[in-house]
Amino acid sequence: MAKKKKYAMVIDINRCIGCKACMTSCKAENDVPLGVFRNHVRELEKGIYPNMKKIFLPVLCNHCDKPACKAALPEGYEDAITKRDDGIVVWDEAKCKGKVAEAAIEGCPYSNAFMHPQKNVFQKCDYCVHRVDAGLQPACVSTCIGGARIFGDVNDSTSDVFKYMATHSTHVLKPEEGTTPNTYYVALDRITAERLEGSQQLPPTDATEIAVENFSG
Amino acid sequence: MQLKRRKFIQLGSAAGAALTVGSQFGMKAKAAALMELKQTGSASPTGKKNQEIPYTCLTCNIEDGGIAYVEDGRIRRLEGNPNHPGNRGKLCAKGNAGHLHVYDPTRILNPLKRIGPRGSGKWKRISWDEALSEVAGKIQGAMDIDPMSIMFQYGRNRTHGLVYRFMNALGSGTVNNHTSICECNKKVAMEHAWGPDIETPDFAHTKYILNFGSNLAEAAYFHNPYIQRLIDGKVENKAKLVTFDPRMTNTGAISDEWVPLKPATDGIVALAMCNVILQEGLADTEFIRKYTNVTAHQLAEHLKQFSPEFAEKESGVSADTIRRIAIEFATAGPATTYTYRGSSMHQNGVYTEKATMMLNVVTGNIEKRGGFNLPRGLGFGGGPGPHPPKPPHSILKYPPEYPLASHHVSHHVSHSILEGRQKINVFMLYCHNPLYTQPDGDTWKELLSSEKHIPYSVSFSINMDSSTEYADIILPDTTFLERWDPESMPSSALGWVGLRQPVIKPLGNAKAFRDTIYELAQKIDPDGKRGVKKYFSYGSAESYVKNQLEATPGLKAAGGFKLLKKYGVWPFYDKKKEDNFKFGAHEEALSESDLAGTTLEGRTLMKGGKSVGLMVDGKAVRGFGTPSRTFQVNVPEWEHYGFEPMPHYEPIEDHKRMKSDELLLSTYKPNVHTQSRTPNLKWLQELHHRNPAWINSETAKARGIGDDELIRITSPIGYMVTKARVTEAIHPQVVAIATSSGMTNKATVGNYGGTKDPDIVQNTWWDDTGVHPNQIIPVSTDPIGGGMGWFDTVITVTKAKAGDKYGDTHSDRGAARKAFEKALSKATKVRDSGDAHNTTAKTNVRDERHTEVGGVFGTTAKLRDFEDPHNTTA
Repeated sequence: MAKKKKYAMVIDINRCIGCKACMTSCKAENDVPLGVFRNHVRELEKGIYPNMKKIFLPVLCNHCDKPACKAALPEGYEDAITKRDDGIVVWDEAKCKGKVAEAAIEGCPYSNAFMHPQKNVFQKCDYCVHRVDAGLQPACVSTCIGGARIFGDVNDSTSDVFKYMATHSTHVLKPEEGTTPNTYYVALDRITAERLEGSQQLPPTDATEIAVENFSG
Repeated sequence: MQLKRRKFIQLGSAAGAALTVGSQFGMKAKAAALMELKQTGSASPTGKKNQEIPYTCLTCNIEDGGIAYVEDGRIRRLEGNPNHPGNRGKLCAKGNAGHLHVYDPTRILNPLKRIGPRGSGKWKRISWDEALSEVAGKIQGAMDIDPMSIMFQYGRNRTHGLVYRFMNALGSGTVNNHTSICECNKKVAMEHAWGPDIETPDFAHTKYILNFGSNLAEAAYFHNPYIQRLIDGKVENKAKLVTFDPRMTNTGAISDEWVPLKPATDGIVALAMCNVILQEGLADTEFIRKYTNVTAHQLAEHLKQFSPEFAEKESGVSADTIRRIAIEFATAGPATTYTYRGSSMHQNGVYTEKATMMLNVVTGNIEKRGGFNLPRGLGFGGGPGPHPPKPPHSILKYPPEYPLASHHVSHHVSHSILEGRQKINVFMLYCHNPLYTQPDGDTWKELLSSEKHIPYSVSFSINMDSSTEYADIILPDTTFLERWDPESMPSSALGWVGLRQPVIKPLGNAKAFRDTIYELAQKIDPDGKRGVKKYFSYGSAESYVKNQLEATPGLKAAGGFKLLKKYGVWPFYDKKKEDNFKFGAHEEALSESDLAGTTLEGRTLMKGGKSVGLMVDGKAVRGFGTPSRTFQVNVPEWEHYGFEPMPHYEPIEDHKRMKSDELLLSTYKPNVHTQSRTPNLKWLQELHHRNPAWINSETAKARGIGDDELIRITSPIGYMVTKARVTEAIHPQVVAIATSSGMTNKATVGNYGGTKDPDIVQNTWWDDTGVHPNQIIPVSTDPIGGGMGWFDTVITVTKAKAGDKYGDTHSDRGAARKAFEKALSKATKVRDSGDAHNTTAKTNVRDERHTEVGGVFGTTAKLRDFEDPHNTTA
């Protein structure tokens, strides 16, 4: 009997070119309104000319084993967010709205969830669950020009994501939060090694302009 | 027909459901129980089955392959075509937003006729019949006076011959492209050096990449296909990437080393490196001996003048760094350079391009695995006969003072018409927005506003861009998702042809340009007496494009046009084939039939007056696509016109005279936009909508400028008021401003609120759409290539003055004129009599030569000599 399926994504920072194809493909696939994003490519820049470093850090829902958004749901609304058997964290639009949604959004230590500006419901990356259920890669993975995103079943030893994780050292964001993320990073340590932690989010022209957190691998 | 690149295997019962959305483009399940997660396919939220129609993208000009998912007649989504040898199933940020062009709420969907003064924005809707009758009448009138007075100005024209068919049929050679503001200096240098106008480096298998000023991670040819391979090379093959660029681009960011340098000095850095490589005994002297027209000794002696110390003085890059990188490049294993517009669109751009090419020559990295290689493309035909004869060239197209500028000198055209160099009666504008994209945009505004110089103006456009605002009549064009075109680009070592086909019917009363021209030809010549109609008797646009594509060798046998309609591209991507591609086209032996009837001139084999091969150590080989069949380190034609035939560095005069407080202005394309055609796409505009000027922190400090503060930038022809982005990511002597911002038209998302898209109405969170610098960038020109010196403008930057408002721009007409005259003063000293028909014999000789050299190695140019023969990419 095969092991239970468990979806995960690996993002190899060494392959990310900061092109943002993932961001527009997500907008298109999921009809995400202006002003909010299900995924970001953060641009971190540090150093004094000419000793400059700039690095790209794509972020999206971590589909945690212990989802903090779910834990933050008010009593009686526990089923507004569900961790599926395959690991994908989904929400129920009919239930995860208003104050319930606000609590869940507040609960995410990664600030990866948001309110739909018109529908007033909870939103975040769902690994394109409708595509995955139809046998397709998530939109951001499908279009990733650098080949930085690898997605699949980590319990399947023949999958690319399994093999990638077996041959590369991976880290997660904010492990100290104890949420056990399923979005992994290769070369996340470059952000500390190249002294990019605490650096400015750039460029300021972008919608991705958010105060940068101290990412430590 | 199966995609084998990704092998995502999953187990699961959900796999069964996937079969219902199975796509002809995706992979087939290997077994019933095993299902791979496919890269592409449709999963509509409505659960409806979508039509899957392949197309060729045209948000920019890389020509990537895509698949449109159409639901109830509406495009729901675009994805990459996994069968495409160039983009391998991936689309960039722009491509993913391409269908927003179709549903742009400001799109023009009916012919419009001007009813107020030019530029007043007052229009009335008219019928197509009325519109075409009016335009046909104006063209007939102009034909009766002088057909050459009918001018066609195009930009992103991908009709592959239709514009020329139309204009040739009318008898006018007054056709102008936009290549001189793109990358023509690079093209001219490469054509004279080795034949084709672009390279296809083998990034995936290289060990070292020296990038001079290109930004492949964000733009450039061929952004998506090339960066995929470059990342493969970097990550899997451990290639080192070094980027010379005054600005830290995203390509700089992913580089192992970013080496900022003073603009327009890439050439001296490259030549100093070549010098080091020869002096250190690291050169491939055998390649130089066999395949160039100089000896290694001659070259070494010539290069001695370009010392690393001299290069340091000019560029600011230390002599030690130059020496180290030169040695690394020469000893890394297979290595390649890459350039696009950054290093070549200076007044010394042709010399610079040749200098950077020389690094590949001296290391013998030409035409080999992991090296700097000739472009491979498949061609297609010139469309159904008969073909109209070619009229004489206009002096606007080929000004005699630029005898080597084989890609037109488009940025001189506004001044030239205003000075009366050629009389224009009818002006047609297609896929070009000169007011915005050309330098000295206010001169274009002056021209397009002038009913004296442009008595009648037609724009074929999808929306109200800044130049279309000055038209007399607008014929609404369709987007790239509603039209037919053949395509081919050398974006992979594996050549391909692709099809652009309508994935939906045109919206409203928009009409595809191909159809508009066809119908216009019938209106101009209803009874055939004008000799125009016979060239427009092929029926539909589809039949025209089918005819072109079915001329591609091998396609018919593989399934022909039908195959392209179903799969979008041919042949399909084949990783194994690409990984094992055999280079060395220049070493290919000539066959017996090739050799029959040849004569030898020096080492060059001649046949019928044309060079066909090269003798190398007693063997007859193909060589390169130049008159001598060698890689021409020495270009005799340049010497003929008073230019330096050998590798050369020419400092920019204005830069030598710069005062200590003066800076240089640079512009760039950000990753989510094209030059001018995307600010109407909300998802892109959201990611990048304003363009503060990048200024180094020290430079800003010296001027008392803080981040995001108002600054005034003054150039020789005017000033602009914008905001500063104080950063460490730029050379202290350079200020850089992004293009694609600063549009004042209503199509730009952020400029208006009157659209019907509720998302834009309710959720647009920005109203700053930037300030455009082109109005203050004067015309300047490379005297060899005829290309615009985009990154050469000397400026001063101060805090804004009292009363300055964000967005203020001003240009001085007299100063703009003076700058144009200054550019002309550096041109070859041949001026014409002012007669449009008086084109010199040289021009025609040049055209033929380029047709010939373009045909070598089966580049895309081979079957396209009916048009601008070398315009593979512009």
